[in-house]
Amino acid sequence: MIRHAVAEGWLVVRSRPVVSLVLAVVVAVPVSLAGVTISVRQWLAPVVDLGDRESVVVVLLHPRLDDGERAAWLETQARSHPEWRLRAVAPDELARRLGEWFPYLAGILDREGPDMLPAMVEVATVDPEGVARLAGERAVLAVGPTSSVNRVVSRAARRLSVVLLAMAAAVVTGAVLLAAVWVHLELHRHAEEIAIMRLMGATESTVRGPFLVAVAVPSLIAAVLSVLATAGAVAWLARLAAPFGLAAGAPPAALLAAQAVGALGLPLAAAVLTLERHAADREE
Amino acid sequence: MIRLRGLTKDYDRRQILRGIDLSVDAGEMVFLTGASGAGKTTLLRLLYAAEKPTSGEVWVAGSRVDTLARAQLPALRRRIGVIFQDFKLLRRKTVLENVTFVLSFHGVAPREGQRRAYQVLKRLGLHHRQSALPETLSGGEQQRVAIARALVYQPRLILADEPTGNLDADLAAELLSLLCDINYQGATVLVATHDLGLLESLPARTLVLQRGRIDYDGMWPP
Repeated sequence: MIRHAVAEGWLVVRSRPVVSLVLAVVVAVPVSLAGVTISVRQWLAPVVDLGDRESVVVVLLHPRLDDGERAAWLETQARSHPEWRLRAVAPDELARRLGEWFPYLAGILDREGPDMLPAMVEVATVDPEGVARLAGERAVLAVGPTSSVNRVVSRAARRLSVVLLAMAAAVVTGAVLLAAVWVHLELHRHAEEIAIMRLMGATESTVRGPFLVAVAVPSLIAAVLSVLATAGAVAWLARLAAPFGLAAGAPPAALLAAQAVGALGLPLAAAVLTLERHAADREE
Repeated sequence: MIRLRGLTKDYDRRQILRGIDLSVDAGEMVFLTGASGAGKTTLLRLLYAAEKPTSGEVWVAGSRVDTLARAQLPALRRRIGVIFQDFKLLRRKTVLENVTFVLSFHGVAPREGQRRAYQVLKRLGLHHRQSALPETLSGGEQQRVAIARALVYQPRLILADEPTGNLDADLAAELLSLLCDINYQGATVLVATHDLGLLESLPARTLVLQRGRIDYDGMWPP
């Protein structure tokens, strides 16, 4: 039976070499894309993690607020945002910092004293955009920075990987459909033979074997192609990423194995389902 | 070997077979005759489970065929040799492959299968065309390939639908003698034909189908 399946399946592949090749490529491309995306995502994991780190946002309060109003404002913010860590920066410390950052101000600050400076509050948070929304309040003079660079980079990396994986999933779905349609068309092309074989006493496995072999051949090619393409693309990207200090390494063996199994298994699963459906509404 | 009880078959409200009761014992040779459209082919199709009856029971070799599950059909069909009116040959396979491939369903090794197939083809005078494709054969030759395919695994029941339809008189006589030999060896043979000459050349139990009923059941000529 296996000999029959291999011989007949090979005939199907040989009669449709272009379709077989297209199926192999269409399966290999998204599986490789998914593999590369997952590998690169691993390299970027430290950068993505940075996005969850706290950053400090500075809030300058209006100089017209008196001590009581400043204390009330701080109390309100602490109550509304328990996840924020608020710290009022003492005027002396602010004057010292300004003197360090802008040495030409040192003389003015010494002459006028720190009381002329607006009150400054530091907010340690993982959500700098949330603090930035305070800018519209009457008590607030300015807020900055309004976003964390880490957070922007992290979000961009996450979104990019989601988009790439979604694209890979869409193309894999297309490849699975292509496999199903191909088997469906081959079943139609061989409908007369199949009917004769059944009338002669062929079992379902005898009838299905050649079609499974016909799909297994391009799937096997796709598995090899996807593993090679992933390893090659990841190696190339690793060379590009090295100057950025990313821990860019080879794709893990488990990932390559999963790719091979996926490239082999998905079209075969589509073929099995199509054959099952065909058997249900069969007969001469 | 064959038992039919109250068998009816309708197509689009048209009754093809009407309440047929029939019993054929193992080792019998039976002719089934009747005008075109009398229901001969339908009756044979019901026997190898290509159709389901509208009502009634179909028993073949001790199995109730009309209620068999899909998975059990191959085993039933491997016990029946069917010679189809329209040959049903695989167009992409050679004559030898057409005869050999059924043996693979019986678990016969390829080399042994080829040997057996060659012997049957030789008996039917087709061994010199073993490598030809069916489309290059005449109607008579195609019919002989279909016959070889049905006989090669020595089934205990042979159903033949107009097996001499495309054969000249000599070949038809030869085929009949072949079927008689097989019957003599113990196989049950049911031949559907409208060739009265064939019936007269070999006295045997004959069933005459008329308007979906068995009108006559006995030796021919009456």
